[in-house]
Amino acid sequence: MAKYMLEVNKLKTKYVTRFKEDVYAVDGVSLKIEEGKSLGIAGESGCGKSTLALSLMGYYFAPLHYMSGEIIVDGLKISDMKPDDVRRKVLGNEIAYIPQAAMNALNPTQKIIRFIEDVIHAHDKKVSKKDIYDMAVERFQILGLPKEVLEKHAVELSGGMKQRTVIAISTILSPKVLIADEPSSALDVTSQKMVIRMLRELMEKGFIKSMIFITHELPLLYNVTDDIMVMYAGQIVEKGTAKEMVFDPVHPYSKGLMGSIIVPEAGTREQKLEAIPGTPPNLKRPPAGCRFAARCKYAKPECSFYEVPEKEFGNGRMYRCLYDVDYLKEVYGRNG
Amino acid sequence: MKGMAKYYGRKIIWYVITLICAVFLNFLLPRLMPGNPVDMLVNQAATGVTDPGVREQMVRQYTEEFGLDKSLPEQFFTYVGNLFQGNLGMSISQYPRSVNDIVGSAIIWTLALQLPSIIVGWFIGNLLGALAAYIRKGVDKALLPIFMFISNIPTFGLGMVFLWLFASQLHWFPVGGGYAPSMTPHWSMEFVLSVLDHYRLPFLTMVLVTIGGQAIGMRSMSIYELNADYVKYSRFLGIRDHKIVGYVFRNAMLPQVTGLALSLGTMVGGNLVAEMVFSYPGIGSTIFDSISGRDYPLLSSCTLIITIMVLIANLVVEILYAVIDPRVKATQTDS
Repeated sequence: MAKYMLEVNKLKTKYVTRFKEDVYAVDGVSLKIEEGKSLGIAGESGCGKSTLALSLMGYYFAPLHYMSGEIIVDGLKISDMKPDDVRRKVLGNEIAYIPQAAMNALNPTQKIIRFIEDVIHAHDKKVSKKDIYDMAVERFQILGLPKEVLEKHAVELSGGMKQRTVIAISTILSPKVLIADEPSSALDVTSQKMVIRMLRELMEKGFIKSMIFITHELPLLYNVTDDIMVMYAGQIVEKGTAKEMVFDPVHPYSKGLMGSIIVPEAGTREQKLEAIPGTPPNLKRPPAGCRFAARCKYAKPECSFYEVPEKEFGNGRMYRCLYDVDYLKEVYGRNG
Repeated sequence: MKGMAKYYGRKIIWYVITLICAVFLNFLLPRLMPGNPVDMLVNQAATGVTDPGVREQMVRQYTEEFGLDKSLPEQFFTYVGNLFQGNLGMSISQYPRSVNDIVGSAIIWTLALQLPSIIVGWFIGNLLGALAAYIRKGVDKALLPIFMFISNIPTFGLGMVFLWLFASQLHWFPVGGGYAPSMTPHWSMEFVLSVLDHYRLPFLTMVLVTIGGQAIGMRSMSIYELNADYVKYSRFLGIRDHKIVGYVFRNAMLPQVTGLALSLGTMVGGNLVAEMVFSYPGIGSTIFDSISGRDYPLLSSCTLIITIMVLIANLVVEILYAVIDPRVKATQTDS
């Protein structure tokens, strides 16, 4: 049996707002990642991707609150642990996080090495500064970052360099799970490639044991991760290997997302760009039945009445639609 | 390092230009006031003298002595020439005391009162502001209106209220002055105690007003910093809150340092007026006397001294700023 680095069962979290209108941003998400594997999570803005990333870490800062479900990191059930223990033993140590806006993730008035000292001392006070420095230099060199960066302040680094420094800091304690929330979305293509190469290197060298990569850029996921999950309105709507998800999506929403990718080739300028009409639903009052029904071009009246369960098919794939896979494929065939 | 020298060089040039303008205005503005100082002086000196000839001669003599018979530009150059020799001239209203003498004794009182009160107020204000931002809830709700209230009262207004309430009604503090009226300044335990006794109320008043303004600024800066991305990132790396509060405090402090430099002028100005309310023997009271006596040399010198003090304080703050904020260093050394 494969060893799972991260297991999540029916995780539910919510944002508590001022006027008692809770927002259910993660609504019953289950996922598993084996050792050495990576999982991509895709979806539109506001579908709950980033909230899922925050929820997976097992420590909740207001207004985000845990409701129910399990989070197990390498056999350790962190969803049952006290928040303080999670912070001391899990965050940065077992689960590491790369934030969406890495540009501002570093304290502007602190040298990089001082911050690394703080990170390591938060988990083990006994490590000497000399050891930390040596360790940081070694890690930075392996990851292709000049060691001079350690003695600099964040303002003295370029955007790409900052992002790579953040990745190096996040993974300095060799966590079992790395959660990268759009780590490359704000970068130019060259820096983007360097970030991706760095993440792959971290996996290959065993500095991280598994990775969750969150992005809205699907082509990127195809190149980075083993599996892909598509998220919509706080729920997973489809899951499969990267190849299956890009070339053979089943759920109408995944299908629409893949169709919305702009590929730079002759004729795209003249072509009418396809996009999914409408906007994601308001999660304060999620719609009954299938949450995508209002925007789905194949939806029928019954879609809005029946709660749709997650359905398994093929070789470990999963989707969430009222219709059979065969029926959906036939419909797609008819519509070209 | 070369960039740093250039940075400070440029700053100092600007300070020198400001100083030149200040010297010019300090000279000119008092002389635009209506009224003639010599008349007042003669009126005082020649009480009982009825012979118009003697009077006229006295007027001529004083006018010549103060150089008021010369044209304004000429007076200006004499004034600047004397400044370079460290000579601020002769006081008109307190003739024959020299301005150096009067300002010299007043400035000690002012420095001893203002410097500590502004610095203490600044520290307490920042601390309270940061606390209110960090704890929020009840503490913030209670403190913020209080800060708002006291920061909007002028120092002299609060001084008057305090004088009436604590000194005149409750008799907790002496009613004014720098020391007991029966004493003359000298070095003795008794005198020092009297000075400290009179020091408390003006000091408290100025500290309180400074606290209000600083706390409001620090509170909003801290709230802003507490929501910064680096705070969230640090938390998710397992760093404990007390460490993060340290980051936040330092970063929120930086704009407060600039704020101190910017508001120093107004603070000093406001506190000078308060000195008058407390009849404190500092520069503020001296300015008041010099205005009512049309004492051009004394008034110019007082304002000049204040200008120089504020400029020096600003320069010190700016030098300090470049040391504590690596961003300033980074941008300035690159160019």
